[in-house]
Amino acid sequence: MDYPTIFGIIGLAALIHASFQLSISMVTLLSGHSLGSKAKASRALHLAGAFFAGVVVMTMLFVSFLAYLATQLFPHSVPALAWSAVAGISIGLGVAVWAFYYRRTKVGTTLWIPRPMARFLSERTKATTFGAESFSLGLVSVIAEGIFIIAPASAAALALTQLPAPLQLVGIALYTGVASLGILVVIMLIGGGHKLSRIQKWREDNKRFMQFAAGSALLVLGFYMYVNEVVAAVTTVTGGL
Amino acid sequence: MTTKAIDVVKRRGKRATEPFDRDKLHASVYAACLSVRSPEGHARQTAEHVCNVVEAWSANKHVITSEDIRRQAAKALAPHHPEAAYLYQHHRVIL
Repeated sequence: MDYPTIFGIIGLAALIHASFQLSISMVTLLSGHSLGSKAKASRALHLAGAFFAGVVVMTMLFVSFLAYLATQLFPHSVPALAWSAVAGISIGLGVAVWAFYYRRTKVGTTLWIPRPMARFLSERTKATTFGAESFSLGLVSVIAEGIFIIAPASAAALALTQLPAPLQLVGIALYTGVASLGILVVIMLIGGGHKLSRIQKWREDNKRFMQFAAGSALLVLGFYMYVNEVVAAVTTVTGGL
Repeated sequence: MTTKAIDVVKRRGKRATEPFDRDKLHASVYAACLSVRSPEGHARQTAEHVCNVVEAWSANKHVITSEDIRRQAAKALAPHHPEAAYLYQHHRVIL
């Protein structure tokens, strides 16, 4: 696999990761509550910044762990079976995102996560007053969406194993940077004085598009990996090329 | 006066009922106004107005639900501060 293809897979996987909304929902709630409790704007920004740091750290750990696992399991080259498995997971989760990433409610951006868990996260977010708490909420927000994040992160991890060590670090940085971009944009908008209601309204108005885009991108990624790494490999072997 | 003899049914009866608390309503509306960067004085004034409207609405009722209060408060808040009303009504459906 050539470098543009590898970085293309990592970039697309990171974009898919960025389109998942739990962390963005939590940072919106966190900022709303810190502004609503008369905290100074700088305090609200500090909490949001700590949350962002948590998201970045956990995203980096998540993809690094999967890449490490892939290098240990497949030290020489990634077998077609592994690519097919990740392609299958991507396609399956793409359909799942289309079907139930957002709950079928008329208003709001209610996500798929079980209601008791959503209530717990919401209560914890409201009660957060320290940077350390906010940081750990950022960590948790990535773990809580692990079931969806696993597909793009695994695809990126398999692609990362094709790179030499120094470039693997660049790949991890690229994945983490792009995957965290959505939260960074929301924090910058809040820090820049934009109203939370407008941000939330935009999210609500565009939630179906985001859902469609994330699901479709997962399907595209899955099919691409399957064709490029499985079908091409089989064709090469059977064709004696 | 901070409480009235009106029972508030919480979350469709899943939590124990509690008496209507004007201060609690005031605090939540005030926080919603502040979270959309409304000045403190304006937020306080708006919260007072909303509390008065909700109290007047609940005057002839013995039992109301927390959802009723939320709906009425959002309705009263909307003409004064539509963005705060939006956030007030939607903050439970963000996650």
